[in-house]
Order: sequence, then structure tokens, then C-alpha cells
Amino acid sequence: MPLIKNECIKIIKRKRFYVVLLVLLALVPMFTYAQMKSAERSQEKFNSDWRLELQQRITDNENSLSSDRVPDEWKRYRLIFIQQMQYYLQHDVNPNQPNGVTFTREFLNNAISLFIPLLIMAIASDIVSGERTTGTIKMLLTRPVKRWKVLLSKLIALIMFTSLIVLSTYIIAYLISGLAFGYKGFDIPVFTGFQIVGSEVDMSGVHAVPQWKYLLMQGGLVWFVGICIGMLAFMVSVLVRSTAASIVIMMAALIAGNILTNMASAWSSAKYLFMVNLNLTNYLAGNLPPIEGMTLNFSLIVLALWAACAVIVSFSVFTRRDILN
Amino acid sequence: MKSSAWIWRITASVSVIVTIVLILGFVYAFKDINNPQGEPLLSGGEPEISDEEAAPAKPDQGPSLPALPKDLKVTAIGDSLAKGTGDNSGSGFVRRSVDQMNGDGRTAKLLANLAINGMTTEGLLPKLDDKGIQYALKQANVIMLSIGGNDIFQGSDLMEEATSPDELELDPAKLMGALPMASERLQAILEKIRLINPEARIVYVGLYHPFSDLEELLIPGNIVVSAWNQAAMEIVNRDPNMTLVPTFDLFQHKLGEYLSSDHFHPNGAGYQAIADRIVQGML
Repeated sequence: MPLIKNECIKIIKRKRFYVVLLVLLALVPMFTYAQMKSAERSQEKFNSDWRLELQQRITDNENSLSSDRVPDEWKRYRLIFIQQMQYYLQHDVNPNQPNGVTFTREFLNNAISLFIPLLIMAIASDIVSGERTTGTIKMLLTRPVKRWKVLLSKLIALIMFTSLIVLSTYIIAYLISGLAFGYKGFDIPVFTGFQIVGSEVDMSGVHAVPQWKYLLMQGGLVWFVGICIGMLAFMVSVLVRSTAASIVIMMAALIAGNILTNMASAWSSAKYLFMVNLNLTNYLAGNLPPIEGMTLNFSLIVLALWAACAVIVSFSVFTRRDILN
Repeated sequence: MKSSAWIWRITASVSVIVTIVLILGFVYAFKDINNPQGEPLLSGGEPEISDEEAAPAKPDQGPSLPALPKDLKVTAIGDSLAKGTGDNSGSGFVRRSVDQMNGDGRTAKLLANLAINGMTTEGLLPKLDDKGIQYALKQANVIMLSIGGNDIFQGSDLMEEATSPDELELDPAKLMGALPMASERLQAILEKIRLINPEARIVYVGLYHPFSDLEELLIPGNIVVSAWNQAAMEIVNRDPNMTLVPTFDLFQHKLGEYLSSDHFHPNGAGYQAIADRIVQGML
């Protein structure tokens, strides 16, 4: 316990967490503004009649289906999108009602694969290698505490801060977007449970969930992704001497993952990489997974395995390695 | 280090609580995605729509056309012509006529263009059951419809083969055989639109013959197209608030001028000519 306490205070005192909060505070208003602009534009065009707008979107997508220039995967994606949107229309629910809660939901859907992991990396990458850069690791290890305990305390502190980052992302996104869109919208129903079979959507499992519950489920998935990324960054942080190097390594992996998700649907074994499995919220929203054959359980197992390996590696390395320099 | 103690207490308790909540959310999401429980959905009551449906579709509108309101709200539906395929500016006759009707103390607005390339009467009929499409039609007081061209010319199939006219199978007898079915569907479509929106002015755009410059196709095509237009006219004439805008004569001798490079769809000038006609009949 005292060790964990020590780690937590260190993270806060070294201002890593403030950096994360600052980044959020700086970026969320930008997204909010962009969203507001696009809402204004659609208001102009459609008189804020979302049904017309949605129907027009469906029709536009249907039109693009007949074009030969559109790749097949996109067509499948759009076909699924069309069916879902029709479902929303059929049940008279606006899927994109502009309010703070919906913005938060959308923001996190987009943030899960890159933004949140980056924030978590800001803390995780530094947690061990930072001690090494400053040389304080010697002091830490000369104490009469077992090495694995030291590392474990760091890991637990990391998990705690992962939760805090997810929470603060939610709070900041909600508070700031609420200024622009209003703070209501917790009770709006969101449909979940779309099951994709080929390019058809099975609607039998679809049910409405109030938005707050959806946010909770989403938060859980974001958290899981955050933990896995945290563990991996943690391992890199143990293996690599400098903080900068460990951040670069993790960032490269993440960005590569993002690029892969967009183009690797032909390379099906890419699905075993952790980076393409980050978009867990896709399963909640019922979107087409980037690579065929990916399901929630598959992604969870892949992520969990990567994270477990990372933990094992970091512990075995950390307990054995000599501390030089 | 009093502040440290405070920091520790707050972060520790908050993070533990948050972690638990997030884990709960995770478990919940996990369960929900793996065993989605479909539940009977109460489709949200739509008072506005049911009201409209409850209102009797005024049967005795009188012989004269109801006056056109000052603010026109247009919804377009149908095939590529309504969409504006072939028009370099992408406007099509829908946007062109809407723009033209705007002004003079009148406002015209395009609510939605629901046209889809390659749409046939067969494809359109079930589409009219979609709630979103019904909604867009209900909001309008002018509905522009273009359909039937793909039924007769089999859409792009024929267009692609059009380079070698010998291969074309535009057998008039066969086409005429398909005609009754298609015009029956047209009637069903128009009746359905009328049922969805009892008050709107419905503008049906008649067909032209895009291949009349090909000798082999001139006569059979003319026969089929005019038979179709005749059938459509008969259906449209039954409703005082429906109009058929003829285009056959417009294109007859001006194919080179009015057709786009795919030799099937009109170009900008062709769409403008159709739009002019529509506006003439409306104002």
C-alpha cells in the first residue's frame, strides 16, 4: 500500500496527469467546435429536420452502392450503415441528436483507438523508464523491498490512473460539449445488438438502451483497451531506457495499427495484432469489423493475451536485470 | 506532507470507485454484445403522422386544382433522371426547377432528393413503405417523380451495349408485353404516394426516347415510349392534383444537344429544358 501511494503521488507531482488533462482541455473544444459547425450546416440544409437528413443520407449511400468505383468492403460497410439507419428511422429515433451526451459518446467512439491510448501512454511510458532517466531507480531498488513489489505497485498505480483518465475524458467531453449542445440527453435510447451476418444485419437482437447505460458499457470497453495499452506501454517502459524512446515505440505501433485498420482487410492474419483490435466500441455500435472474422470475444482475447505477455515480460525482465548507469 | 496525503486519499478513492464502475460497464457490455436480448420495441408514437392519416383524404377537392402554396417544399423520388445523373453541375431537373421557382414572392425549397440511380418501378414500390421516405413525402407539398425509364430500357445494361446496336434486343413485342405490368406498378406507386400525402402536387416526368437516333431503335422505341407515356397519362389524369410533364417532344430532334456523353441521361441543357417545362406547368 505505501508503495502504491508513493507511486500515485509521484505521478501527480511529476505533472503527467496534468498534461493529460491539459491535452483534453485543449482538444475537446476543437472537436466541439467542428461538430457545432457541421450541425449548423445541416440545420441550414434540412431545417434541422433529422428525418429528412437521415433519409437523404440513406439515399446517398444507396446511390453510391451502384457505383463500380466503390470498393466492395466499403459497399458492405455502407449496406450495413443503411440498414441500421433505416432501423432508427423505422423506430423514430434520432441517432445523432445533438447534445452533450451524444457528443461524448461519439467522441469516445472515435477516441478509443488512438486518442485514449495516447493519453494513457503519456503516463505508462514514463513510469519505469522515467525513473531510470533521472536515476531515482537506484534509490527505489536499494530499499528493502522486493523488486516485484516495486513493479507491482507501479502497475497498480497505472491501472488506477487509467481509470482516472477514462473518467476525466468523459467528464471533460461532457462538460465542454454541453456548453455548446446542452447537457441533456441521458435518457435517449440508443440501439445496440446489431449482429452482422455477411452484409446483412440481423435485427433480432436489437434493443434500445438508454444513453447513460450505453456510455457505461462504452466506458467499460474503453477502460479495457486502456488497460491493455497501459500494460504494453509499461513493458516497453521497462525494456527501454529512455522515456522518449518508449513513447515513440508505442506511438509508432498505435499509428501503424490505425493505418492497418483502414487498409488491411485483405491481410486477414493482421487481426492477431493488438493494434487493429482496439476498436471495441465498434461491436457495441454494430459496425463492420475491420477484418472479417473479428468478434468481440476474439478482440478481447487477443488484447488480453498481448497484455498478459507484456506483464510477464516486464516482470521477468525487471526482477532479473542489473541496474547500471 | 499534508498535501500528499490528500492527493493520495482523493486519487485512491476516486480511482478505485471508477475502476469498479468501469469494470461493471465492461462486464455489462460484454454480456450485451454476446447475448443481445432483442426486446419488442415500442415504436415511438408519431402523433403528427397518425393525425394526418386519420384525417380523411379529402375526396371532393372539386374539379379545379387547389392553389399552390407560397412556400413550396419539394421532395423528389425515382430514378437517375430525378437524381440528375449526366448533369455536370449535379443539379438535375429537380434542383433547377426548384431554383427557378424561387423568387417572385415565392420560396421553393428542396427537402430531399430520394432518387436512386437505376431505380425501377419494381424497386420503388417497396421503398415507399420505408418510414423515412414516407416522412419526406409527407413533409412536401410538391412531389417530383421520375420512373419507368429503367423498366423500359433495362437501365445500364442496354446503355453499355449501345455501342454495337446490332446486339441490342429491343424487341417491341417483348417490351410491349412487359408494359402492362410496369404501368400497373406505376399506378400502384402513384396511388401510394397519393395515400401518403393526400395534398401534394405530384409531378410525373414523362419518358423520352434516348435512342431515336439509332435507326434500328427508332420505331420500336418510339412505340414503346409513347405507349408508356400514354399509359402514364391515363393514370395521372384521374387525379386533379397530378401532372404529367412530357419530355418526348423535347428530346425528339435534339438528342445531340440534350443528351450527356452516356447517351442515355440528359445533360445540363436537357435537364434545364425539363425544368423549364415543370416550372411552366406549376406557376
